[in-house]
Amino acid sequence: MNQTSDKKRGGKFWAWFWMILGILYFFLPLVATFLFSLRAKLGVLSFTAYQHVFNDSNFIYNFSYSVLWGVLTIIVGVLIFVPTAYLIRLKLPKFRLPVEFITMLPFVIPAIVYVFSLVRTFSQPPLLIVNSPALLVAGYVILSMPYMYSAIDTGLRAIDVQTLTEAGQSLGAGWGTILFKIILPNIRTAILSGAFLSFAIVIGELILAQYLVKPAFAPYMTYLIQQKAYEPAAMAIISFALTWAAMGIIQFIGRGSEQGQIAGGH
Amino acid sequence: MTHLALSKISKDFGGTTVVQDFNLDVKKGEFVSFLGPSGCGKTTTLRMIAGFEMPTAGQIVMDDVDITNQPPNQRNVGMIFQAYALFPNMTVTQNIGFGLQIRRESRAVIKQRTDEMLALINLEKHADKYPYQLSGGQQQRVSLARALAVRPQVLLLDEPLSALDAKIRVSLRSEIRAIQKTLGITAIFVTHDQEEALSISDRIVVMNAGEMEQVGTPFEVYNFPQTRFVANFVGSLNTANAEVTDPAKGLLSVGGVQFITASDLAARKKGEAVRVSIRPERFSFLSEHKKDNALDCVIENITFLGSVVRIQIKIGDSNFNMDTFNNPFLELPKLGSKEKVTCSKEAVLVLDE
Repeated sequence: MNQTSDKKRGGKFWAWFWMILGILYFFLPLVATFLFSLRAKLGVLSFTAYQHVFNDSNFIYNFSYSVLWGVLTIIVGVLIFVPTAYLIRLKLPKFRLPVEFITMLPFVIPAIVYVFSLVRTFSQPPLLIVNSPALLVAGYVILSMPYMYSAIDTGLRAIDVQTLTEAGQSLGAGWGTILFKIILPNIRTAILSGAFLSFAIVIGELILAQYLVKPAFAPYMTYLIQQKAYEPAAMAIISFALTWAAMGIIQFIGRGSEQGQIAGGH
Repeated sequence: MTHLALSKISKDFGGTTVVQDFNLDVKKGEFVSFLGPSGCGKTTTLRMIAGFEMPTAGQIVMDDVDITNQPPNQRNVGMIFQAYALFPNMTVTQNIGFGLQIRRESRAVIKQRTDEMLALINLEKHADKYPYQLSGGQQQRVSLARALAVRPQVLLLDEPLSALDAKIRVSLRSEIRAIQKTLGITAIFVTHDQEEALSISDRIVVMNAGEMEQVGTPFEVYNFPQTRFVANFVGSLNTANAEVTDPAKGLLSVGGVQFITASDLAARKKGEAVRVSIRPERFSFLSEHKKDNALDCVIENITFLGSVVRIQIKIGDSNFNMDTFNNPFLELPKLGSKEKVTCSKEAVLVLDE
């Protein structure tokens, strides 16, 4: 009896130990960076570095472009991956595994290899688009594909796609109406998850923007690291805050949608 | 006049024939049920009428228009699904009005028709609720209203009551039937529940292994099954091995006991082995109303089933079930006692496979 309770107590101790270690591993660098970012003024803690960042027109310029690339990536990603995942679930279930494998490729192909392939392929006629922002957005769409596709696919798995489609068809709806009025609203939370993850990827992505020579947040931050001490730390905290805000928005918008999907769910 | 005609419909899935040579004419306003076990092809046939599956062969004609190859959204067919299939992102009113919106009806028409439908299903108070806020029965009623709002030529119901509990199932099936009669709409209902099919239908199509076994009114299908499968599937049935002793007189020997049957034995030879089928409720204790077969039996077991009492009797070497209506003053025989039971010769069926 005593041995069992001792074992339980021991188990609890190690559970707490590993959890606290994990939290420290994650938060310590963040706290250190935050504290460092507050030391721009000698001897006092202040938000001076943050003021410098927000007053810097280059920050606004580069960050605005990153936001633009992020939004375009989300729009193009949704337009490509929602119909694809929907059709695979509905009509081509055999292709689910191969497509899932393809969507995971950005995890195994280093971004540097990918960007050199893009530059080589699209820097000569007839595909001379290496200077077009479209190539950068297309690249981001590919890089965010694992997150976007799997989020959408998970959303589709939570609803009865076939029955909802057939219900729409029996009421006279065509494919477009079914997709945009029935399927899309019911995987809203999943799309938002994928969208914010894609946004976070685009905001923090360095290699693609740097080698395709386009204004973006990450290359600017790298540049700043070489020039200044406290401002890059402030920017790192800002980018964290933005990502967490995005996650918070997902949680907020996703409230109650679990219940909303029950009727069409499996 | 035929409203919906299915001619020589067949459907193969990867070399497996699921529906074979299916022929059916449905009159306007008729309620037809497809009844059969899982995998018999009833849902596939319904889905072919809806346009969700294309027949491998055959033709589907609705009001003299060949709709065999028409996509589902161009057929004016309403469909009710087992899983309700209400759009989770829309309220009850929006769900009901969806088909009308697709048809680009005016706002006034949509409002008027959705109000009509809400009144029809008695859910006016729930108009602004979302599907997840409704019970299963209420969701299925909304599904019915949504399908009817567009005034379809045919209403298709794919096991709409299967997901509901027993009491709601019974009340909702009466409601569906009443609404169908009021609107005079043609309905095809798929079910594997024989009681459901018997209680709701004008005609029943009994299906087995992709083929039609029998088409008839519930009375015909239950009382005059044409095949052993139908007799077995629809209602309870006793079956026993028998031997033809006099084909001309319809005499059979069941375990040494003589039975007389009204089934035609003219084509059978004396001594031929057959199987007889008798429904449990066709037996009764012998009183002054002696029927064609008066049989000695031993009471083997008695089971109380609520409205019915099932008595297991042994006639010769064969065991049979006998059903009798329960009443509080019923004097049941004792276990092991010897009794006499009777049944008419029409009750003794000799059926082909």
